[in-house]
Amino acid sequence: MNAIIVKDLVKRYGGFTAVQDVSFEVASGQVTALLGPNGAGKTTTIEILEGFLAPTAGTVQVLGANPRAGGRAWRARIGLVLQTTSLDAQLTAAEALMMFGALYPKPRRVAEVLDLIDLASDARTRIGALSGGQRRRVDLGLAIIGRPEMLFLDEPTTGLDPEARRRLWSVIENLTAAGTTVLLTTHYLDEAQYLASRVIVLADGRVVADATPDELRAMGGVPVIRFRLPAGTPALPPALTQHVGGNVLTMPSANVTADLATLVGWARKNYVDLTGLEVGPPSLEDAYLALTREGELSHV
Amino acid sequence: MSEIALRAPRLPGLGPVLASQLRYQLTLLARNPRVIAAGLVLPGALLALERGNARHITMAQAAPRIAGLVALSAIAIAFFTHANGLVVAREAGVLRRWHVSPLPAWAYFAGRIMATMLVTAAAGLILVMVAMAMTGVHLTAHAVVGLLVVDMLGALALAAVGTAITAIITSAQSAQPVLMLVYIPLIVLSGAFGAVSSLPHWVHTAMTYLPVQPVIDAGSRALQSSGAIMTVHDLAVLVGWLAGGLLLSFWFFPWDPHRPAHAKPTEARTTDRSA
Repeated sequence: MNAIIVKDLVKRYGGFTAVQDVSFEVASGQVTALLGPNGAGKTTTIEILEGFLAPTAGTVQVLGANPRAGGRAWRARIGLVLQTTSLDAQLTAAEALMMFGALYPKPRRVAEVLDLIDLASDARTRIGALSGGQRRRVDLGLAIIGRPEMLFLDEPTTGLDPEARRRLWSVIENLTAAGTTVLLTTHYLDEAQYLASRVIVLADGRVVADATPDELRAMGGVPVIRFRLPAGTPALPPALTQHVGGNVLTMPSANVTADLATLVGWARKNYVDLTGLEVGPPSLEDAYLALTREGELSHV
Repeated sequence: MSEIALRAPRLPGLGPVLASQLRYQLTLLARNPRVIAAGLVLPGALLALERGNARHITMAQAAPRIAGLVALSAIAIAFFTHANGLVVAREAGVLRRWHVSPLPAWAYFAGRIMATMLVTAAAGLILVMVAMAMTGVHLTAHAVVGLLVVDMLGALALAAVGTAITAIITSAQSAQPVLMLVYIPLIVLSGAFGAVSSLPHWVHTAMTYLPVQPVIDAGSRALQSSGAIMTVHDLAVLVGWLAGGLLLSFWFFPWDPHRPAHAKPTEARTTDRSA
């Protein structure tokens, strides 16, 4: 069963088209990442799915209902982490969770949510005195207190330190293991790679790719040879030198065998240790950049 | 029956939801320093200044002063603090979160306005007790209850007006200047600090149609226990502002943060959605 169905979605603001003919479906229990550069239309799309915006054309269904017409019962089945933290600073995390929990039919226990978001020790601290990462976790706590079937996460880890990001990822993993459907927007490709089983890339308001992270990497073009050059390395052959940036050789290769032979030949001649040499498909970032560049160019 | 209806779990009743929202808003107000400063400390300090005149003051003189300072407290809490808090919450995205929660829109406002009325009444009661201690006037329980009923009705009308006015305030930074532009002339010209005799006649007349002077007049009558507390005119003015404020809020209240006019179209917002 699909938790989200988007068909021929269009959103215009006056003469500006923010989203153009976007269609996709998200199966229940799936984690899907919506990627795209700023202005690609991902926030507009997610806000239409959340019910904040009305589409100009096309149809949208979330948990079987039109989000614009979703009543209390529908709203009790979804959870949201908005793009910016949105909390009353005078309350404590425990108070905010308790007050929001009272709105749902079968809320999680406050203590359970505090444990999930790793804030049990700060439960009685006013939100205004928490760090940015802790506030973001309170945001997530409010989104999950009602046991949502569908969770929208709009750039949930923006501004968090690496440790806080990892903790938030762990919470999201636990939720998805319990069957929650997640639609995530993020600028961190490692986040999409880690959390999502599917990636939809938007560029210039259109879907330019819809695939698994591995398939997306494969779309990024030819394999890549990567090698961090040790200090004091002799000059590389001219064919390789042009692919060096910041002491790292990153070389897209249409003929891996021939290019590797050149590299290995140079290494043997100069006694360079090739430990750390990598050959593989392009990274998700390479693929993403290639796709979004193509998307922008095709609409110029 | 639709799939949604089949799967919909039983939602909490509206009574418990409203009670929870009332508790939430009371907690927020109790921890808001502006409520203490503008709603209690300022009018309390002005009452304390009356102490020097206590030996010479009569009930007829004390009643309008006490009622005026109670009205000052009411407008500070129910209009200024309420409206400013709404703008700050809206611009911070707090209202947006509530709007997409299972809380009905009316329950949010009902909880918020009821909390404002209760805090206004509590502040009014404290001020009356301070007034009795400072001026030495004796007030009956009947007089105090009458004043508090007027105070709460005034708070209701002022909160409705405050809610409506937030629609034209586009940022948290501009909230205080805009609200003070309304609040200060209204409270001074309505006679909260004493009647202003040098004003043109039309200003006096206009003040009787705005929501502060009727509160002062009715409060003063309540303290003196002189017949009916509210005239039909005063009651009609307050009910009119209440109804007008609620209607305007219903149509124009924005739940989403305002965006600057030059913002990219992808960041524009609409505010209408079903409650």
